[in-house]
Amino acid sequence: MGCCYSSENETTEQDPDERKPLIPHPNPVSKPPNGTDWITTNVPSARTDEQALLTSILHKTAQNIIDVSAADSVMMEQHEYMDKARQYSTKLAVLSNSLPQKKALALPSLTSQPHQVLASDLVPYSDVQQVSKIAAYAYSAISQIKVDAKEELVVQFAIP
Amino acid sequence: TAALTAGLERIPDQLGYLVISEDGVLASAGELENDEHTAGVMMEMVRTASRFRLPGSTDPPFKRMSILEDFVYTVTVSGQKVFVVKRQNNQQEPISV
Repeated sequence: MGCCYSSENETTEQDPDERKPLIPHPNPVSKPPNGTDWITTNVPSARTDEQALLTSILHKTAQNIIDVSAADSVMMEQHEYMDKARQYSTKLAVLSNSLPQKKALALPSLTSQPHQVLASDLVPYSDVQQVSKIAAYAYSAISQIKVDAKEELVVQFAIP
Repeated sequence: TAALTAGLERIPDQLGYLVISEDGVLASAGELENDEHTAGVMMEMVRTASRFRLPGSTDPPFKRMSILEDFVYTVTVSGQKVFVVKRQNNQQEPISV
């Protein structure tokens, strides 16, 4: 479990299915994205170093790539999805019950003379105006932050 | 609670007040009489604001919180109680031409 405040050492009664991702890895190592077989099949033990190297590079690459084009074909059935959702929410409900209720933070003491503090002069209008202006500048600056797209997030491999 | 509220009654331009504890509203009057909703909002705002700290300081860096509308809510905390006073905002906005 990777959520906040969870302890990492609760390995008892682990459901093996629990760690199965909702969307399975679209291209397991044994099946390359373009459908051709890896050269590992039926290669005699006298395989050259070069081939071995190539195979290992291919394996590594395949493990590092998420093939989004293949994701559609491995979509779950509706009922499977519902089952998973139910299973996860039951698990969460059980876990959240066992969490200690975090006590609301005690109120700080801001003053020992509340009446005096509350009765004192209001914040001058010019101060309020200044704060509003600064906030407006900050808002304007933040709204101008943009993502500068440099390259494609999804790349096409030129596989012949 | 009489001692708590006597001072609040005398605040100039006050339109109403609330005294709130962790368990709920202890006292209320004027435009804030029995205003549980405002009490809840104020409590949440005080909790949020009191989490702010300046570097190297362990206490919240303010004594009073002011919420400005056409009127002003002034809020402070003392002895585990939140005091809210609604006051008239007599400061005139300068007319810009």
